[in-house]
Amino acid sequence: MIEKKKNPLSGAVLYVVLILITAVTLLPLLWMLSSSFKLSTEVFTVPIRWIPETFHWENYLTIWQKIPFGLFTFNSAKLTVIITLIQLFTCSFAAYGFTKCKFRGRDTLFLCYVATIAIPWQSYMLPQYSMMQKLGLVDTHLGYILMQAFAAFGVFLLRQFFQSIPNDLLEAARIDGLSEYGTYFRIVLPLAKPSLASLAILSFVTTWNDFMGPMIYFNSEANKTIPLGIRMFQGQYSSDWQFIMAASVISLIPVFVLYLFCQRYFVQGIATSGMKG
Amino acid sequence: MPRTATGTAAKRSGMSLNTRNTLVGMTFILPNFIGFFCFVLIPVAFSFVLSFMEWDGFTEMKFVGIENFLDIFDDRVFRAALVQTVTFSIFTVAFSMVLALALAILLNNKLKGVNFFRAAIFFPYVASIVAVAAVFKAMFMKDGGPINEFLGLFLPDSMLPGWLASTDWALAACIIVQVWKNMGYFMIIYLAALQDIPYSLYEAASIDGATKWQQFKSITLPMLTPSHFYVLMMLVINSFKTFDLIFTLTEGGPGTSTTMLSQYIYNESFISWNYGGASAAAMVLFLIVAAVTLLQFRVERKFNDFM
Amino acid sequence: MKKATSLLLALAMTGTLLAGCGSTASSSAAADSTASGATSEEAAATGEQVTIKLANWDTSTQPAVTQLVEAFEAANPDIKVEIIDVPSADYTTKLSVMLNGGSDVDAFYIKDADTMVGLAQKGQLADLTSYIEADGIDLADFNGLAENFNVDGKQYAMPARTDYYIMYYNKDVFDAAGVAYPSNDWTWADFEEIAGQLTSGEGANKTYGAYLHTWQACVECWGVQDGQHTIMDYQTGYDFFKPYYEMALRMQDAGSIQDYGTLKTGNIHYSGPFSQGTVGMLPMGTYYMSTLMQSIANGESSVNWGIATLPHPEGVEAGWTVGSTTPIAINAASDKQDAAWKLVSFITGEEGAQIYAANAQIPGRSNDEILSTIGAVEGMPEGAAEALAVKNIALDRPVADKVSEVNQMLGEEHGLIMLGELSVDEGLAEMAERAAEIVEE
Repeated sequence: MIEKKKNPLSGAVLYVVLILITAVTLLPLLWMLSSSFKLSTEVFTVPIRWIPETFHWENYLTIWQKIPFGLFTFNSAKLTVIITLIQLFTCSFAAYGFTKCKFRGRDTLFLCYVATIAIPWQSYMLPQYSMMQKLGLVDTHLGYILMQAFAAFGVFLLRQFFQSIPNDLLEAARIDGLSEYGTYFRIVLPLAKPSLASLAILSFVTTWNDFMGPMIYFNSEANKTIPLGIRMFQGQYSSDWQFIMAASVISLIPVFVLYLFCQRYFVQGIATSGMKG
Repeated sequence: MPRTATGTAAKRSGMSLNTRNTLVGMTFILPNFIGFFCFVLIPVAFSFVLSFMEWDGFTEMKFVGIENFLDIFDDRVFRAALVQTVTFSIFTVAFSMVLALALAILLNNKLKGVNFFRAAIFFPYVASIVAVAAVFKAMFMKDGGPINEFLGLFLPDSMLPGWLASTDWALAACIIVQVWKNMGYFMIIYLAALQDIPYSLYEAASIDGATKWQQFKSITLPMLTPSHFYVLMMLVINSFKTFDLIFTLTEGGPGTSTTMLSQYIYNESFISWNYGGASAAAMVLFLIVAAVTLLQFRVERKFNDFM
Repeated sequence: MKKATSLLLALAMTGTLLAGCGSTASSSAAADSTASGATSEEAAATGEQVTIKLANWDTSTQPAVTQLVEAFEAANPDIKVEIIDVPSADYTTKLSVMLNGGSDVDAFYIKDADTMVGLAQKGQLADLTSYIEADGIDLADFNGLAENFNVDGKQYAMPARTDYYIMYYNKDVFDAAGVAYPSNDWTWADFEEIAGQLTSGEGANKTYGAYLHTWQACVECWGVQDGQHTIMDYQTGYDFFKPYYEMALRMQDAGSIQDYGTLKTGNIHYSGPFSQGTVGMLPMGTYYMSTLMQSIANGESSVNWGIATLPHPEGVEAGWTVGSTTPIAINAASDKQDAAWKLVSFITGEEGAQIYAANAQIPGRSNDEILSTIGAVEGMPEGAAEALAVKNIALDRPVADKVSEVNQMLGEEHGLIMLGELSVDEGLAEMAERAAEIVEE
């Protein structure tokens, strides 16, 4: 808790606890990193070897040669950024409509949204695919974007946050003569930064790591994404775990950069704007 | 609710209050709704219809009433999957929530390097599932896996769990991996909310002589209510729907001891080509999640009334 | 800062629109080509290019498929073939989605041959009978493999490749133990005994006498090897699996094979231990030959290997083995079936067979000549042609209804038996019970 005066001993204990937790959390990832420098035959040994005998840095070069990893990275980045932006825009808009505008049928409509969140994709991916197929959108990025960008959880997430924005605040804005749109852009959106950041991360990570969607939708190499590329190393006739690990390590980086970027919104967020409480 | 405000707005434009409200509301919702309607709601509705049909995915459908539902409840794999999904979800939700909150509180300190710790805990959330599953399979190895090597310091060999190679422990292993992977995200949500609690509340409380625990109980927990609801909801939905991680980790095994409903749906669709049965199972999953959600909404409303 | 952000967003949105338009344009172009495919016959006649799509898995590790396509394109300049490459584990799922969606794919390999009946019943496979008659193809050249894909007198698929179990062995391990190399006439009892003799060492330096992969096939197949039973014969209580489960468990206890649990959780692929030289014998499909040679050629492995015919049960003639066929078929919804047939008949024709053989893969159209071609491929061990010359190939999975579900169930129960969660008798009883539920549903 936010306690300014600290007894040095409890500070030390806190550090020890934190370092332990962090170590346990990071251990599997460190092993992933170490495996990415091994030979394929050295990855799974009993007992586990934490530090590779020799570092095979060339694994990180090989993956770019074995598969068009650069192209896949570009595709992943393009799709993820577009989908995340569409989500942020349309979901925050819709969530505002669902929270702060009152009209008939609103709750029924929202129920439709919630209902679809609970249904696993596996059960409706076939009809969805057939539909996309008829629209000629299979094996196009557009088809995948349309399929992913309107998932309902974004609306749900933001609505949950918008509910905590006090209505008095919006009242005041409206009395000051702001239109509903003005209220949204000037008052709500700035307040919603932390929740937008958390949606951005959620949506980014989901799309970035999505395997089944691209697997089902993309046929040509030109459209494929990183998770499909990683899967290419794991075939029926052999499994190149060192490349899987190396590609996974690389694919961690962009998401992590996004996290670092979003972090300040989580941390400062509403607290600095001082609107609540 | 902003009844008065929209009221004034309506008066200005001279439109009927209802029409005006609906119109304004619609303009906000439409951009998302159009896409949602076309690309999500229609297929989902189709899947709902399918649950009453017999269909192999290609040839003509046949209406069979509730037969699909009777069939799946007759299927031992479905019953196992149902029980396992519920068990998995209960534990995942409970552990994730408690851990995420505890970590958020620990990391809400002004410590040196706090950003590093936060990032480290968040890291697993972004890792690719294929790699994570492979790593954890090795971590959980019965003989020579790091987890059992560690436990072996305290336990005799005969008591070491078999983890993924044992029907008794595989589900527990899946829960551990799921919690490990996702707690970082929920910690961040809690962290954001914690930053929101005015420090003055704690100051006032300590002047009144409240202990840390009392402060936690009467300030921190209640102030986090909206986040609790969000976190709980996301966790419930995610864990009930969980697919990729467990599928790559165990493929539902050993036996069917970690088969989840989502995998049952997948197998029914793509191994048995029984889309009716798969949709029926999806509906059961939906009903469970819907029930939990409604319950939560109820409680939430009650909560909001008090505040 | 705010302005910059909104500018960025505006840019991104425009980008979205542009990207959207771009994709629409390309997809409508694709749609056009599909539409023109309906008239592909005239197109072919006038020399216009037709593009057909061929679905395949793990293309990068199967050089034969790429070579087949290249040779085909060279012989048919008016037809272009696009390979849709899918990860093997997801191939069957993706294929059924594509077929249900309609005309995304024209020709495709079927990974699990037993799903062929289901696909045919759903009406997703084009009837090839008239093509076969028109081209005068003699199905007898496929050694009886083609009949498996004949439903009610209609031929729905052609056997492109065939694979069967053989026994790979590591000569160095045999030499070190002073044991003679396996003959092509071993029984499973020989296999078990010699495996014990080959086992040596401890811990990380241990050499296992043999390796049985985690698939149920690597135990259960030996039960159907005599051709008397199939995995669908649940009425017998699956007692024909029993000797082999007992053997596998005995070997596991004796430490002459690595235990199932470790293999499963250790992400161990069968190619690993064998190519590293830590196992003496590996019963595995013929498809492993080309992978193994590739990894030796690029220096990843230096194993000194040989092959022998799969050991056989007592009382069964030497040369009886178990295997499967990889058929190739045409999408019934494809509007370029004529062009697709050209590809299929090329792949399953004599030229195709030669290309497969040159890659050490056994074509469906196999004979002694083809086998000696395979035996002569650079990198193949001595005596390979003899080891490959088998007398009978029992199907690992019969081409019948509900086989996939039964097979999935057998896999689940297999794990329980191998982990010792169920005794052999309990496991087999449960298999029989569940198979009955699946089939009689």
